[in-house]
Amino acid sequence: MIQKKSLQWIAWVLIMPVLVLRGFTTIYPIVKTVLNSFFDIRILSGVNEFAGLSNYINIFKDQKVITTLKFTAIFVVVSMLFHIVFGIGLALILNMKFKGRRFLRTIVLIPWAMPSVVIGMAGKWAFNNDYGLINDFIRRFFPDFQLSWLINTGSARAAVIALDLWKDLPFFAILVLSGLQFISGDIYEAAKVDGADWFQSFFRITLPLIMRNVLTLCIPFTLWRLTSFDLVYSMTSGGPGEDTSLIAYRITMEAFTNLNVGYAAALAVLLFLVMGIFSWVNMRFMSRFEN
Amino acid sequence: MKKKMISILLMAAFVCSALIGCGNNGDSDQSSTDAVTNKGGNKEYDLTLYTVNSTDADFGDWLANVEGATGLKINVIAAPTDTDTRQQKITTILSTGDSSVDVLEINDEMSASFKNSGWLEGLNDTVMTEDIRGEFPQGYIEDMITDKNGQIVGVPGYSGYLAFWVNQEIMDEVGISAIETKEDFVEYMEAVSTDGRYGYGGSWEKTYAFNEMAQFVNMFGGDYLDWSNPANREAMEFLHEMVVKGYTSLDQIADKYEQMNSKFNDGKYGSLFMWGLGTDYAKAGMLGDDKIHMAMVPQFSEQKYIFTDSWSYVLNTASKNKDAAVKFLQYMASEEGMKASYEAFDRYPARKDVAEKVVPDTDPSKAIYSRYANECVVKGRPMLPQTMEFISAMGTIFQSYIKGEITIDDFCAKAQEYVETYN
Repeated sequence: MIQKKSLQWIAWVLIMPVLVLRGFTTIYPIVKTVLNSFFDIRILSGVNEFAGLSNYINIFKDQKVITTLKFTAIFVVVSMLFHIVFGIGLALILNMKFKGRRFLRTIVLIPWAMPSVVIGMAGKWAFNNDYGLINDFIRRFFPDFQLSWLINTGSARAAVIALDLWKDLPFFAILVLSGLQFISGDIYEAAKVDGADWFQSFFRITLPLIMRNVLTLCIPFTLWRLTSFDLVYSMTSGGPGEDTSLIAYRITMEAFTNLNVGYAAALAVLLFLVMGIFSWVNMRFMSRFEN
Repeated sequence: MKKKMISILLMAAFVCSALIGCGNNGDSDQSSTDAVTNKGGNKEYDLTLYTVNSTDADFGDWLANVEGATGLKINVIAAPTDTDTRQQKITTILSTGDSSVDVLEINDEMSASFKNSGWLEGLNDTVMTEDIRGEFPQGYIEDMITDKNGQIVGVPGYSGYLAFWVNQEIMDEVGISAIETKEDFVEYMEAVSTDGRYGYGGSWEKTYAFNEMAQFVNMFGGDYLDWSNPANREAMEFLHEMVVKGYTSLDQIADKYEQMNSKFNDGKYGSLFMWGLGTDYAKAGMLGDDKIHMAMVPQFSEQKYIFTDSWSYVLNTASKNKDAAVKFLQYMASEEGMKASYEAFDRYPARKDVAEKVVPDTDPSKAIYSRYANECVVKGRPMLPQTMEFISAMGTIFQSYIKGEITIDDFCAKAQEYVETYN
């Protein structure tokens, strides 16, 4: 035992390179971001001075950020609700036995495999009133239909959420499908013998058994939504006005376009805290669910 | 004991290899740096150029020409193609006093941000001397690349205009031969705008709308940085009215140049303002005197106004190779240098006298560009140090005003507030 303890320093030395690397690539940026958030750093104006909490206070006075926070909340909640509802629905379809199932399972992942920036650029055209395939499709049923999706707040937000769903929903569904495949067919057979219909089987057997899987998936998928910026960057540039601006997009603009490093750092710290709180709540919820 | 010995030996081997690895890296870094700056004890390069043109197919020929003419050996660093990344990198180089880059190419947005920062060397006595200064577009020189002390800090690499483009097929169809005044413009709007077609098209996405807002303010004789000026208000009301009367489309709030040009090529717009020499129209087979072509800017007020833009070569204050850099910049400002850029990159010479000599009469842009230079008040775009924030903020309230969400009074008040905030 004593011998083992005396050799522990070797273990520390061996993992030291990883710790140093992690320190430089993760710990240092986090600490530096927190420090920067207390400074007014505007590179283009040559300003770099201590500002205390003013960056944090300004966040809640800045109309652009308030609009951004509102849309971020709408985007995350609505998108995640649809992910859960339609994701489970799609997973159930993909779990059915039919000809071409394997092919469908493969092609359904294509949107997810495409880069968000490409999808955003395609989305800008797809929702165009004159050239877009969305309106082209709708006009097959309603020939007089005219709507420029990206110029009004509501329709632009709906378009962004729809495109986000189109991209990531299949991946969510495939992951739910992996949970579905662990449910033994015997349980459904037994339920059928007991007279359970499809809805009863779904709500009493399927849903409870995949719920832990779905809740686990909700953590990364929600965090990805919170940090999503590329879709909006390439599709709407946050417009019309700031109506489709997401918090990660706002941070990117402040940090890398406007070069307001201090303010961007304060926004990043805020996002970091929100993500931390969300993860903690989700984990608590999961442990309660398990109990 | 045996295990302990093996562990210690392994540990020692690991530490040694790690140290050797670090040492080697350091050496190789050093040698690679040496390879860039020294060769056999002499400097291999006379200056380093940070350029946006290195991806052009003719860049190699251009570089050979410049090196041959100046006798300089130039180290080229390619600037990132992404606008934001490029601006960050250039800002970092200049703001940190990085001397590894001597000459950089910067656009108007960066000029506006950097010209009073002290990061760029004044060129009045060395490059932009009085004998050639008058040949450059004066409005551009004053608005974009002259600092608060009157020092010109850049050499414009070319002259581009925010030209007025018309569709000749549509003009012939409605029987209008020229659009010279505001009344002609309105008449053209009325005649063209019908059945999903608009007399005027734009790209009013919030970061793009700025060009047209400023152009119309100019045409009405206003001042984009003074929103108490009644001409500014008149210009904005005119644009709003164009939407209300159906002369231009509200849909263009979501459009960038790609969407706008597609619609122009498809005959949905009768006219617009656009940079460049019409590459997108040429690709669609729509460029030509009988199709889409440049026309003289209509006169709305006492004079005709037009914006010019450029990428300018600037000298980093921190440079340690200023003599070589000045030699390079002198060449870029000379007739030969501008000719080389025109031949390699199709960049229309910034100097009037050079354009007259170098650009052949067969170049379709020559006649109209000469008219722009001679008949219009040529200005640089009105920009502030916090350029991109200002552009985006103005675009946002413009969209709100055009959509009827705010009044013209609210718009002007906000616009003035932004001018003061971002200055």
